[in-house]
Amino acid sequence: MPGLIGPDGFRRVAEAALALPGVDGVEVLFMHEWGGLTRFARSEIHQSAWREDTGLHVRVVTKDRVGVAASNDFSPEGARRAAESAREMAEVIAPDPLWPGLAGPAEPASRNGFDDATADATPARRADGVAALIGRCAKGFTAAGAYETQAVEVGVANTEGQLCWAPSSQASLTTVVGGNEGGSGFAEAFSGRVEDLDPEAIGGRASDKAVASRNPKPLDPGDYVVVLEPAAVSTLVGFLAFVGFGGRYLIENRSCLSGKQGSKVAAEAISIWDDGTDPHTLGVPFDFEGVPRRRVDLVKDGVFLDGVYDLRTAKEAGRETTGHGLPAPNPESPFPLNLFLATGEASVEDMVAATERGVLVTRFHYSNVVNAVESSITGMTRDGTFLIEHGEIAGPVMNFRFTQSILDALTEVSMIGREAELASEFFFSASRVPALKIERFRFSGRSDH
Amino acid sequence: MLDVARMAVEAAVSAGADYADARVGTDLTESLTVRNQQMEGIDRSESTGVGVRVLVGGRWGFASTARLDEPEIARTAGLAVEIAAAARRLPGEPVTLSPVEPVVASWRSPMKEDPFTVPLEEKVALLMEATRRAQQVKGVTFAEGDLDFFRRSTWFASSEGAAIDQVVTHSGGGTEVVAIGDGDMQRRSFPNSFRGHIAAAGWEHVRTLGLIEEAERTGREAVELLAAPECPSEVTTIVLDSGQVELQIHESIGHPIELDRVLGMEEAYAGSSWLSPGDRGKVRYASPLVSITADATLPGGLGSFGYDDEGVPAQRTLIIVDGMFQNFLTDRQTAHVVGQTSNATSRADGWSHLPLIRMTNISIEPREGTLADIIGDTKDGIFMATNQSWSIDDKRINFQFGCEIAWRIQDGKLTQLYKNPNYTGITPEFWGSCDAVGGRESWTLWGTPNCGKGQPGQTARVGHGAAPARFRNVRIGVRG
Repeated sequence: MPGLIGPDGFRRVAEAALALPGVDGVEVLFMHEWGGLTRFARSEIHQSAWREDTGLHVRVVTKDRVGVAASNDFSPEGARRAAESAREMAEVIAPDPLWPGLAGPAEPASRNGFDDATADATPARRADGVAALIGRCAKGFTAAGAYETQAVEVGVANTEGQLCWAPSSQASLTTVVGGNEGGSGFAEAFSGRVEDLDPEAIGGRASDKAVASRNPKPLDPGDYVVVLEPAAVSTLVGFLAFVGFGGRYLIENRSCLSGKQGSKVAAEAISIWDDGTDPHTLGVPFDFEGVPRRRVDLVKDGVFLDGVYDLRTAKEAGRETTGHGLPAPNPESPFPLNLFLATGEASVEDMVAATERGVLVTRFHYSNVVNAVESSITGMTRDGTFLIEHGEIAGPVMNFRFTQSILDALTEVSMIGREAELASEFFFSASRVPALKIERFRFSGRSDH
Repeated sequence: MLDVARMAVEAAVSAGADYADARVGTDLTESLTVRNQQMEGIDRSESTGVGVRVLVGGRWGFASTARLDEPEIARTAGLAVEIAAAARRLPGEPVTLSPVEPVVASWRSPMKEDPFTVPLEEKVALLMEATRRAQQVKGVTFAEGDLDFFRRSTWFASSEGAAIDQVVTHSGGGTEVVAIGDGDMQRRSFPNSFRGHIAAAGWEHVRTLGLIEEAERTGREAVELLAAPECPSEVTTIVLDSGQVELQIHESIGHPIELDRVLGMEEAYAGSSWLSPGDRGKVRYASPLVSITADATLPGGLGSFGYDDEGVPAQRTLIIVDGMFQNFLTDRQTAHVVGQTSNATSRADGWSHLPLIRMTNISIEPREGTLADIIGDTKDGIFMATNQSWSIDDKRINFQFGCEIAWRIQDGKLTQLYKNPNYTGITPEFWGSCDAVGGRESWTLWGTPNCGKGQPGQTARVGHGAAPARFRNVRIGVRG
């Protein structure tokens, strides 16, 4: 396995770009990624891959004009060529009146997010994990999914004197177990350490759900009480971040939360924050401009406080950066990558028991924005959707299409799970969220499976 | 670079591979974004590396590296073999590759003016002028212009003797105008949403787009939408412009005909398909007016190439003929399931990824008439234009798509303007209700540069030829 290049190795290459003459500033963002993936379908391994790559993003500033060039030639010559290309681009454009300057020196929080065993995980280890997962499939059912182990080291250096570097690792195991009579079940787990994943348990959860969801019955669309498991909640939280929390969208009145700072936007029990320094999330403790990450409360006790900012949007908004810059150039908004939703007191079983008639949703699929300023999204349920009657699971139902305002849904939250899980949405990074019971949720259509 | 690819193949065979191929690749991109007369982004990127794919005992292994020195290539090839060997720890059906004649060839996509040699000043000036004109419309909040250029150079070698080098160049751009007011936000894009119209061509394609000429109209429509009423909720006839038909083809035909999805290989992430392997020639997918082809030989298509990433020559395949489903998209691994050889759809997102079945240019065959003819022939309905949002279930059967703008059609004429239009449907029912497809004069070969699939996620650049079309009894105006 390749091993870490380390801060000294990064600095040696970055210095070739930082020394570019005749400019006002240079920033080098470095990413070195490697990892393996074992995919399986119909309980067979069908794709196995390993990749390693290095990336250098060089941002050059001259008279408030900014150009960016990227290369995977990780050498002093590659860094210098990228810097020269960025300078060429900067020289043909007009100055940016909102250019905030590069990040100054600041020490990120210390966080040990790197696990050697995860970075060095072998294809044999992943294959054995897949075998263990498949071994838990009920008779007549097969498993599909992916077991991935990854490592990354990220560094940012600039001519203002900032130099930060951190490694991180991640392991994930995701599966859909399917088979007889339309049964389908889903389970996943993420961690910074491969040892934390329990393939047998994941396979067992998905298999149990698949068996329980055989022969789903049609149920009319309409407004229902819903119990959303964490994977489904991550869709709501991820899309709320997309249409709501970005500083640029807030400034430009394109956010569903524009002008709502200090206003109640969700049930009082709802608190959402972003914290890239928390050991229970993934990633590195600084953003892609080299600004240290910190906890940022976004919604507290149902009240929207504020969004996230990078250096440029912070200058425009008259605020401090919150450390949420993405790799330059980023014409879109800064984005929270380490979201948390506060836990409550209930279990999923408690929520079901407290529901006279409703629907239990395992996860959503391929959701997308219907109306950004209304926080309205649409998507499908999949891999385990159940009718709840009289406080019990009455049986599986065919998948629904939902069309729903996220803020309206969060306002209708009546119970919150006591356990939070890292759960992923199709388009976004993983959030740590609990299950939710929501008193009204709009299912606008139905599928045939 | 072909020597590097051959070296990787030889190293893999020496390490124990029964079959090996290698792709050395270089991707070059340039992207410019202007908003409200400010340069929001100007960047270039370059990425080079090699990916080695092997079969050992009927199991795949793949490994890639950005370092092209001989020891690193040997290490990477050995790792690919180790990965394939690890897959044998589980029982499974060995991979059977359909035969292909090994080719020694060179191919270039057509291009007149190299976009990477056009001065940056000229590109910036085009975007500045287009957005300036849009901003002159009273009520416009943002006017954004984008240009994107892409070049992929690939050197492919296989242990069967193939040796292919090819280069594709893509160019394009577009404008997007946003109007914000009274808690509402409306957007109009030209010539299409999500960074415009990209083609396998050079700078000459950008010259034909009309970004400056259409800027004012684009801005005016965005502002008019702010005052327009919401699209009503009803079941009615809809006419879609060719840009929305592109999206409709992509999501509800292009993806479900991928045979790897049909076989469950993408089940856990992107999903599967409502089709089964035995459906060829038996399933009515659409009305008799609808015929669909997969054609990687179309000049200008983002899904055009000389050879796919398994070295199979580009082909034209009939997918739907007069409404009846005929063929899947296949690769060398899956084609035998339906008793065929590969129809050349195996492509990877660059050197660092394993190739998957990907759309080429999936197009509706033109029938007759212009958009105006179809609208003129419609007594009552809604015309929707330019995709804004898309969502479809894991079997690609229940969809809900949103557009930027709509008008009521009454007695063949466009009347009331509506904002936030959307529609929902079931794939075969929806396509079965199609009773008009525009002719060659209204048919556009659009590019979709952001098709997602696979784990880790891969982005493919695909094409769709589309004409405006009409559909009956469609539910519109779905709201939460």
